[in-house]
Amino acid sequence: MKKSINRSGSHIAIQAAAKTGKWFYILFFLVITFLPLVWLVISSFKTNFEFETQAFALPKVWMWSNYKNAMSMAGLPRLFMNSIIVAASTTIVNTLVASMGAFAIARETFRFQNLLLNIIVAGVLIPIIALMVPFFKLVNGFGIYDTLFGLIVTYSAINIPISVFLIHGFMGSIPRELEEAAVIDGCSFSQRFSKIVFPLTKPGLVTAGTFVFIFCWNEFIYAMLLTSSEVSRTLQLGIRFFRSQFVVDYTSMLAAIVITMIPTILVYVFLHDRIISGLTSGAVKG
Amino acid sequence: MKTWKILALLLILALTVPGFLLAQSAAETGETVLKWPTIWVGEDSKAGEVERLVMEFNTLNEGKYQVDIEANPDYDGYRTKINAQVAANAVPDLFVFNPDPTSFSYYEGDRLMDFADELAGDWGKVFVGGAIGDATINGETKSIPYEIGVTPIWYNEALMVKAGVTEYPETIDDFWKVADKLKAAGIVPTSQMTGGTNAWTSMLWFSHIAMSIGGPKVWDKPITDPVFEKAAEILLKMYSDGNTTKDAVGGDAGVSGGHYLAGRTAMFINGPWYIGRVRGEAPDVYENTKIASLPAAGDYPGGQIGFALSNLAAGATDNAAKKGGVLAFMKWMTEPENVKAISMDSGAMFAVKFQTGAGDAVDPLQKKFTDAVNDASFVGTHFATVYPSDVVAEFGQALAKMALGRATPAEFLQQIKSVID
Repeated sequence: MKKSINRSGSHIAIQAAAKTGKWFYILFFLVITFLPLVWLVISSFKTNFEFETQAFALPKVWMWSNYKNAMSMAGLPRLFMNSIIVAASTTIVNTLVASMGAFAIARETFRFQNLLLNIIVAGVLIPIIALMVPFFKLVNGFGIYDTLFGLIVTYSAINIPISVFLIHGFMGSIPRELEEAAVIDGCSFSQRFSKIVFPLTKPGLVTAGTFVFIFCWNEFIYAMLLTSSEVSRTLQLGIRFFRSQFVVDYTSMLAAIVITMIPTILVYVFLHDRIISGLTSGAVKG
Repeated sequence: MKTWKILALLLILALTVPGFLLAQSAAETGETVLKWPTIWVGEDSKAGEVERLVMEFNTLNEGKYQVDIEANPDYDGYRTKINAQVAANAVPDLFVFNPDPTSFSYYEGDRLMDFADELAGDWGKVFVGGAIGDATINGETKSIPYEIGVTPIWYNEALMVKAGVTEYPETIDDFWKVADKLKAAGIVPTSQMTGGTNAWTSMLWFSHIAMSIGGPKVWDKPITDPVFEKAAEILLKMYSDGNTTKDAVGGDAGVSGGHYLAGRTAMFINGPWYIGRVRGEAPDVYENTKIASLPAAGDYPGGQIGFALSNLAAGATDNAAKKGGVLAFMKWMTEPENVKAISMDSGAMFAVKFQTGAGDAVDPLQKKFTDAVNDASFVGTHFATVYPSDVVAEFGQALAKMALGRATPAEFLQQIKSVID
């Protein structure tokens, strides 16, 4: 009897320790994740002197003027518009092209099908910085340098491997019987895509689209390489206007970063369920 | 059918809306337009005067030449872009580059315009001695020397006095005694940093020490030479025993500069471009800042670091109008009065000679920089101008390892050498 009480006592202690450990683990990563974000927001209200000399203290006076400065100096409204056009257009072009490619690979049978998929998906492993010179030559050669169109085409191409990978996973999971029934009902090849497979792949398209949108929103290197004038400048270039070769206006830059983070956070908040389900599906079916 | 229509409409919109915006931006002027991607924009201290001079040039040459500034404020990004453009043989009409071994590779082939013939005439006389020679390789001067940097030791005299130090140390042994007094008074002796692309502040400390031991020609020696090992030992000591701040390992220019601005560190190294920041944000520190050379660490005391910071260059062209425009603009930007205007406004120093009179408001601290160079026993260069960018990037990594006690000075140098090899 005594033994059983002791055993159940130690069992409770183990359970309590596990629970404490679990919460410690969760809180630890919560702090690790949120602290930089909180620090970023607080720092965006400091003076540069406070930022450089008391990095972890609260500001003496909350400098809302940093946000005003961020909006006026970098011309954020215009850059916002450019980034939205580029990100939205790229998302549409990329998901359309990638879904067509993924459809052919996932739903048709032909020689070297897997090899083709592997070659396309291997593009994910190539660092984009390695492709700067060829992309610059192509964009320059086509006469679309310093245009939003040039950025859209480039971003759409760069993101094809990841989008094909994600959408292919979804398309592969659609039962073949649906397409067979459609063929019996007289659907052509293109109708099988547009009427059956494409609508059923919506979660995958949203997942791929979200990734592409966030990539376009945050991309800097190609935006800098392929544009030169204010007309085609995107947000990430605007943020750099607070730094020079030797001097940085840190706090206005942080204010601009906080403003530019808002759309990507909103995209993720509203679509995170679909992103996660898309990733899981891609992983299982890929 | 409905889905197809929606898809087609979306595709058309996605591709045509940006195209419409492009059509709005295109404008034919009929002039020879020169595109100038530049870093002297935004927060750069020279931005205002440079923009004014470009506008003035455009007004004076209306109907003939027009220079369009393409703003690229991020220096590392700008450099990456120029590298890609040069590699793609689409060199910009005008551009600025940092004259280091990596950038001088632009001289290879016939991608850049050669100014040697024009500089042989009166135009060449506006530059300080040796500047054109430094920009000439195999008889070709494919860039115009422009901004120069001087990076002496800055020290806060008020902090020294507070610690009971009445005179700036003359030798490195005196330096350690001063450091001990500063620490006893609760003041950190030096600002250091291992972060950023080149560990700027510490790289300059190392360069000063190496030159003080090995002289201005020290950079001709291999990096594993005992001179550099001695310099690394001194630098390591600056990272030990509280001689610098705890966040120096991994810290960037904001960290090393921030501690000096806050009056927490007594000694620091940077160029004249930092004067505006100290004057504006830490007036007490500005008032008490003095300029000096490194306390003698070897047989070559009193040296200073001076180096070409930015050269102007242009893409080679067969178009006579374009060539004329480039030459006219280069001459305009190097006119002594124009250079003086930029210098007076920004505090920056240039490879172009100009006179200042009693009526010119020269910043007192800026004047100390000029005096420091004039009084120097010799002027040498620093590590980052001697080695290519991958080696310079390794400096900070290796230094962090040494500062954390995971590498000896010899191993620190060996790590750098492995990248040189």
